[in-house]
Amino acid sequence: MEPTNFKHLFSSYDSNENLFDEIFDKDQNVRQVYKKIFELYNGHSIDDFVNLNNKAKTFFFNQGITFQVYNDTKPKEKIFPFDLFPRIIDAEEWKTIERGVLQRCKALNAFIHDIYHDKNIIKAGLVPMELIGSSANYLTQMVDLDPVAGIYNHISGTDLIKHSDGKYYVLEDNIRCPSGVSYVIYNRNALKRSLFGVFNHYEIQPVVDYSENLLEMMESVKPKGVDVPTCVIITPGVFNSAYYEHSFLAKTMGIELVEGRDLLVENDFVYMKTINGLKKVDVIYRRIDDGFLDPLEFRKDSAIGVPGLFAAYKKGNVTLVNAPGTGVADDKAIYTYMPEIIKFYLGEKPILNNVHTYHCSRPTDLKYVLENIPNLVVKPVDEAGGYGISIGNKLTKAEVEAVKKVILENPRKYIAQPIMSLSVHATYIDECQSFEQRHVDLRTFTLLGRDKEFVLKGGLTRVALQKGNLIVNSSQGGGSKDTWVLKK
Amino acid sequence: MFNYNIKYTVENTYENPVFEAFWQYLVIPLNNETQQLISSEFKTSVDSRIEKSINGYNFETARIHCKKPFESIQFEAVFKVVKTEAAPLKNIENLNDEDDFKALNDLDFKIDFYSYLNGTSLTTLPEQYSGIYLFDTTKSVIENVKLLNAWVYTHLYYKTEVTAVDTSLAEIIEKRHGVCQDFTHLFCAIARKNKVPARYVSGYLHQGNGFFGDSQMHAWVEVFVPHMGWIGFDPTNNILTDHNHIKVSHGKDYNDCAPLKGVLYSTGENQTKYEVEVTYQQ
Repeated sequence: MEPTNFKHLFSSYDSNENLFDEIFDKDQNVRQVYKKIFELYNGHSIDDFVNLNNKAKTFFFNQGITFQVYNDTKPKEKIFPFDLFPRIIDAEEWKTIERGVLQRCKALNAFIHDIYHDKNIIKAGLVPMELIGSSANYLTQMVDLDPVAGIYNHISGTDLIKHSDGKYYVLEDNIRCPSGVSYVIYNRNALKRSLFGVFNHYEIQPVVDYSENLLEMMESVKPKGVDVPTCVIITPGVFNSAYYEHSFLAKTMGIELVEGRDLLVENDFVYMKTINGLKKVDVIYRRIDDGFLDPLEFRKDSAIGVPGLFAAYKKGNVTLVNAPGTGVADDKAIYTYMPEIIKFYLGEKPILNNVHTYHCSRPTDLKYVLENIPNLVVKPVDEAGGYGISIGNKLTKAEVEAVKKVILENPRKYIAQPIMSLSVHATYIDECQSFEQRHVDLRTFTLLGRDKEFVLKGGLTRVALQKGNLIVNSSQGGGSKDTWVLKK
Repeated sequence: MFNYNIKYTVENTYENPVFEAFWQYLVIPLNNETQQLISSEFKTSVDSRIEKSINGYNFETARIHCKKPFESIQFEAVFKVVKTEAAPLKNIENLNDEDDFKALNDLDFKIDFYSYLNGTSLTTLPEQYSGIYLFDTTKSVIENVKLLNAWVYTHLYYKTEVTAVDTSLAEIIEKRHGVCQDFTHLFCAIARKNKVPARYVSGYLHQGNGFFGDSQMHAWVEVFVPHMGWIGFDPTNNILTDHNHIKVSHGKDYNDCAPLKGVLYSTGENQTKYEVEVTYQQ
């Protein structure tokens, strides 16, 4: 049967039966939610898209929306690649995602509290102690410490994919310093500037309210006795890959962006140096890793931290967002136990699926992993940004052996998961000036505060720009799409 | 009752001026069942206030933030401490040895003492020495720990200025020498390997009796013995700790107990000289 809606713009569009295509169903018909936009896009010629694409690029460049890629030589500043075809998630589907990520974030918060207090889940034999204690992110200094309102993971980024079975699976929970939310907002802006007309045809949830919710959440966890809290964001500085985002968030919240040297601790209170003298700071959204926060408590070689900050935090005079030591639950080895963690603390069934995860510190898992590397993705437990990942079916024989060797040297450091087939989405590709299938994932952003829960209605859809590639991280050359959540 | 006067002094000199500096001293004696801190006085040669604060492990610290340029700084702390005689170990003979080892293998016990049961970078036995000292399960835990204390004492020779704070355990075991800190790290590593919780203790030793470890801060071990609690051992001197040991802090290893931590903005070389004087008053 001749596919009905397949027209000129998508003439060179591949189809692959083994993958879930977000736009086309199995019979090559455009899915209901995409019908209108597909029609609208087909009203343009490819030349229009070439122009629009250049326009969007210029917009990102002029706004300074860039990021840095670290490699062997020197860091490179790149424009964040943005795609003209939005991803659309209908209201019903979104409801499940939203409930699912909230459930995970709340369970993780309870888990972090537990492992720094009574350790009930470990005593119940559900999570092995070794996994916690050997995690580089477990901070003994956090033991028995109670953060304001009991919140640790105030800001979480949950990475989801849609598998070929059409279901969402969680790939990772990011609760150290998840980044990318500024791109969500700029992607929306860029698309509005490029193709404003398409917004008249859909009722889309806004994303611009993220900053006000973030500020509200920060204020909700102010220290005891503070009336109107002074909130700031602390950044490692302009050389950090997410510096753009740090400044974006500070600007849109209307609060100061500071570096370690702008803050000072006196008598266990934190102050900001201003031209009018010292000003007390109450809530700090920190985009600095735990180890660098305070050279008197953690890494003594940290030049970006604030001496004495941890003591002020411990005394309850300042709130740190996210709490130090939260990263212990970010460890990919913990991910293995997420279904148990959700059941244990919330008494609920997990709403979102977990990808089956083999942890190489378990002998049976290790054996399986070593024998099946070509069918697995092997990831280090403590890296971010897509570094150190090996995808089994892309490896040569020699490379498989090399991966085996690194796993055997330090099994605790590695997990493996079956190769998930990330769903694909039409993406405008610069080099061939046409729309092609590319793999996508979705990072959602969740806020937890005192009596406050918020999931940004949208998210960062990341696109692997190279054909067939599964790694979507921007540091690995990925791009992104505006992500629409429909109102109904 | 034993009355002690402790004087801790440190002098730092710098090749080039220091523009701003922060120091944190972890040198204040604890208040606990066997010791009472009567008074503490702090002095510095620079014009800065001294603040007290509690660190991440719940020990009191003294902090200086110096905002004016300087090339050298002296810090002096004087403490008066009263110690009582440590209670002698009780009922050692009556302990049921099997129960003892059973307690060590209990899951809740392992979880509660996790921090002191696992090696750190300074207290992990190198692979080739993992079996260097194995406990004899036909004897009680306390008996084993006493034997370990004696073993560490005879295995290492006390020698200053041959090891540094970051000397590896492998090198210490091979070369068989070191200072109190190395004795303590080796002891902790072996105790933990044998499933007995052990923590690194930093403090002062009354010098009068010809013990090793004077004129600097001293280090020893506290071991958690089931049915008995935390018990102090000083492997550098092959003794149980007593009224001559004045405790400041404990942790997993030296890094948790470093007497001095600091951040400063300067260039070039620097020199640190420090001295501890513990005197006994009638």
